[in-house]
Amino acid sequence: MRKQLTKVVLATSLAVVAWSCNQSDPVVKGDYIQGVFVINEGNFQQNNGAVSFFRREQKTAQADVYLDENGSTLKGGVQGYAVSGGSGIILVDNDKAGLDKAEIVDPNTFKKIATIASPDIDNPRKVVVLPNSSKAYISCWGTNADYTYKTGYIAVIDLSTNKLVKKITIPNGPEKLVINNGKLFVGTYSFGGGKNLTVINTATDEVLKTIPFSSFPTPIGIDANGKLWVNSGLDAIRLNADTYAVEATLKLSTNTSKYVNNFTFNSDQKTIFFVLAYDDANYVAHGETYKFAITDTQVNVTTPFIKRYFTGLSVDPSQGLIYAGLSPSYGQSGYAIRYRTDGSLVDSVKVGIAPTGFVFRQ
Amino acid sequence: MILVTAIGFSFTENLMAQKDTILLAPVTVTGFVPERFMSGIKIQKIDSETLNQFRFQNIGDLLSFNTPIALKNYGPGQLSTVSFRGTSANHTAVLWNGLNINSPTLGQTDFSTIPIAGFDQLSVQYGSAASVVGTDAVGGSILLNSVAQPFGLYIFKAESLDSFLNYQSQAGAKYGAKLNAKWDFSGKTALNYSRMIYRFPYKERQSYPLLPSETLQQGLVQDFFLRSKNGQELSAHIWLTKNRLTLTPKEVAGRELTATEAYRTLIRYQFEGFSMRTSWIRDVIDYATGDYKNLDHAVTDKFSNRIEKDFRWDFGQNGNNIQIKTGGEWTHYRAQLAGYEKPLITENRGDLFVLTRFQAHPKLVVSANLRQAFVTGYNPPITPSLGAEYQLLQNAFYNLKLKGSFARSYRVPTLNERYWKNLGNPDIKPESGWNKEIGLEQNYVPNSNHVFRISLTAYHNRIKNWAYWNPSKNYKVENIQEVLARGIELQAGWKANQGIWKIGADLGYALTRSSQERIYDSYATDVVGKQLVFVPLHSGNFNAFVQYKNSRLTGQIQSVGKRFTTFDNAQFFNSYTLANLLAETTFEWSKIELRVQGQVNNLANTFYLNVRNNAMPGRSFAINLLISYNSNKTNTNEIRN
Repeated sequence: MRKQLTKVVLATSLAVVAWSCNQSDPVVKGDYIQGVFVINEGNFQQNNGAVSFFRREQKTAQADVYLDENGSTLKGGVQGYAVSGGSGIILVDNDKAGLDKAEIVDPNTFKKIATIASPDIDNPRKVVVLPNSSKAYISCWGTNADYTYKTGYIAVIDLSTNKLVKKITIPNGPEKLVINNGKLFVGTYSFGGGKNLTVINTATDEVLKTIPFSSFPTPIGIDANGKLWVNSGLDAIRLNADTYAVEATLKLSTNTSKYVNNFTFNSDQKTIFFVLAYDDANYVAHGETYKFAITDTQVNVTTPFIKRYFTGLSVDPSQGLIYAGLSPSYGQSGYAIRYRTDGSLVDSVKVGIAPTGFVFRQ
Repeated sequence: MILVTAIGFSFTENLMAQKDTILLAPVTVTGFVPERFMSGIKIQKIDSETLNQFRFQNIGDLLSFNTPIALKNYGPGQLSTVSFRGTSANHTAVLWNGLNINSPTLGQTDFSTIPIAGFDQLSVQYGSAASVVGTDAVGGSILLNSVAQPFGLYIFKAESLDSFLNYQSQAGAKYGAKLNAKWDFSGKTALNYSRMIYRFPYKERQSYPLLPSETLQQGLVQDFFLRSKNGQELSAHIWLTKNRLTLTPKEVAGRELTATEAYRTLIRYQFEGFSMRTSWIRDVIDYATGDYKNLDHAVTDKFSNRIEKDFRWDFGQNGNNIQIKTGGEWTHYRAQLAGYEKPLITENRGDLFVLTRFQAHPKLVVSANLRQAFVTGYNPPITPSLGAEYQLLQNAFYNLKLKGSFARSYRVPTLNERYWKNLGNPDIKPESGWNKEIGLEQNYVPNSNHVFRISLTAYHNRIKNWAYWNPSKNYKVENIQEVLARGIELQAGWKANQGIWKIGADLGYALTRSSQERIYDSYATDVVGKQLVFVPLHSGNFNAFVQYKNSRLTGQIQSVGKRFTTFDNAQFFNSYTLANLLAETTFEWSKIELRVQGQVNNLANTFYLNVRNNAMPGRSFAINLLISYNSNKTNTNEIRN
């Protein structure tokens, strides 16, 4: 009773404070203005992916923000999340045909605004937003029912109308996206069979160029010197972002039974972290996390930066902490593990199933 | 439903031949599963009226409204497996005329493919009875039986249409005649067809989609019985089922087809306590997507022979006797699956068993059973069981029985668990469990108009070497878990008869606590002690009917508690309650009968989810017609199955 009374008093006073704030200063309202969002893929057939949320100072997460705010789950695996102004775009991949979608939410309240459904969005993979615009790009495999990756495209979304504007055909399973200076760089999926990085002009939404690589390319991002980094095979390749001329190629491993993934920049864009992994006889991934500087001429893979395999890796641009996704299995909750830039452990936060990525809001 | 106390009673009638001398006498045995050796174990017989009411539903629907068995359902007309007493889908033996019909590759039965039309009798046996039933009987068994038909001719045709435009049709005949002075002949021929197209008037419920799907089902049942005056019986049984499930049929590129066919045949001969059985089962599973050009085709054959002999030894003055059944079973498997290490996998399995039933005292029956199974490559554990029943109180109006059982159970790994490429594990060990249970059963018959029955059972079932498709190891199967299932079951029933009025009600409640107990890797700590997925802690059902002359109104309610959907119990589905209402009446013209049934499913339009995180359908209406001709029909109000 006493506790309840305290709660009521507290709630009332908070409401008064909020009200007075509202009176004086039209700040953005909502519970999710600042903090960390975790993209949890979920277990495919159970369609139980989610976006988790916690504030940076918290050690427990809200496992499914969308469920908490909308009263229903996202009903699919979650492949991506991005924020642009008043829109949050969640990519939802259901295990059955015809039920995929991009769910548009208010990023501050996480209340649903609109749905862009199949066939506009089929098998969505990644999403990026074009800065200072209402445009978002979603890589989609398309129906891809036979897994030959022939139906892929980039869905161009207008967030002012929440409608599909255009589909740009991309062969071989479009995957990772990097946006920079009027250009969208599109990588392809490891089993898609493609070797080209596609460059799209974001003014015209036309393909500008395709850049060939020796293996499927994954754009990593733009470094502190404005250079484009691309991973292909076991190489990290630095390119001139305008001429696409290769400036440097770093060998990440010579062991061809291994593979690399989860590339991410440090907050100063001068260091790249990645996971070097191999699959055992049961196709279970094992590996460690390494790093190299953008000025390095060779990569030290003898001493791991963190002796663990992760399913997701990101750096919080505001605090500089490394966020790593750990997935014990598709049948139980994963963890967001935080490390300092020297590789020392901070803590871990239990999140949703199979965390694969992080989105930070200041 | 109705708590049957047939065990014990059936043999108190058998108190003839009381002799002091030792005598190994043959006994006449009917029934395919030797339930009389299951003393101490709870068996629930589903009455024919209930079977009739569910004749247009599958066995999963019936079980969920009448037993505490939890269903794991992937959607209407889709895969539906059971969890019996907190165990997994692999831990319920499904026996058709004594033959285990669980898929040898999956070790389980998809209950959506078993129509009620396929058998005559249904019993549910609770708890471990592996010493009598064999592999898979860890959580319990579902016993489906065919029965010999009486003399005369019975022909029926039944049709059903519901508001989702699902159509079903059944037709058949039951017949029996005297062949000559020595032999009688009887049989049954029945066909069933259903076209479930699920035209829901909505695409989603509470924002959750209903996955479009279609299921076509066809079935044929053929039973023949030849019975002689001197007690010989020869019977032949055929049961064919075809099930064709299409998910998202309108998505031409992404649609999914799962077509299953089961051919089940069995011949049995018995005479003077000796019986032999030979059988062949073929399971075919085809799976394809899109244009169905690349069919994933899987065929499994199971050939099985069984021989058994009964002995009986009567002694003492109080009807004391010992009955023994001993026998053996030999089974040969042939499996051709694209996913297996080799194109053809063969495996031999054998079983030897000795079952005993000791009527130690008119009030006390004890069963001690022993079974040893043999499998190519390794031996499952020797499987003993001990059960007893004791009449605590018995008078003309009331009886109270105490029963208990202590039994080992085992489960032979499925063919997938042993032979699936990479993920299967040829060295996997059989699971082994010990089940303890104790129960009280009471019947109260205050007068000829009322019958009250109530039973209370508590059990404790620990299963070691639990095989687990380990999601941390990309679903490789390993014997890493240990599951402890314990619970309490309460069942109560009342039936009353007041002239042309009949009334009855049944109530069931189950508390099922089933948890994984072993820490096998660093993240298993998040899973240890947690309730198994899709096993509700609380579940209940309530059925009631009132009948006036030939008209009957029935209400069916099932309540399913909160179900966790992830191993660490971080995600769950909310509890829900479903109610169905059935109204029916029968018109009679001489030997012809027309039964008209109106059915409201999900009366309260309850919202609930299936395993795929899709919505289940809301309220629907169905009209069912059954027209029959019965040559034996005299002027009676009895409704015949």
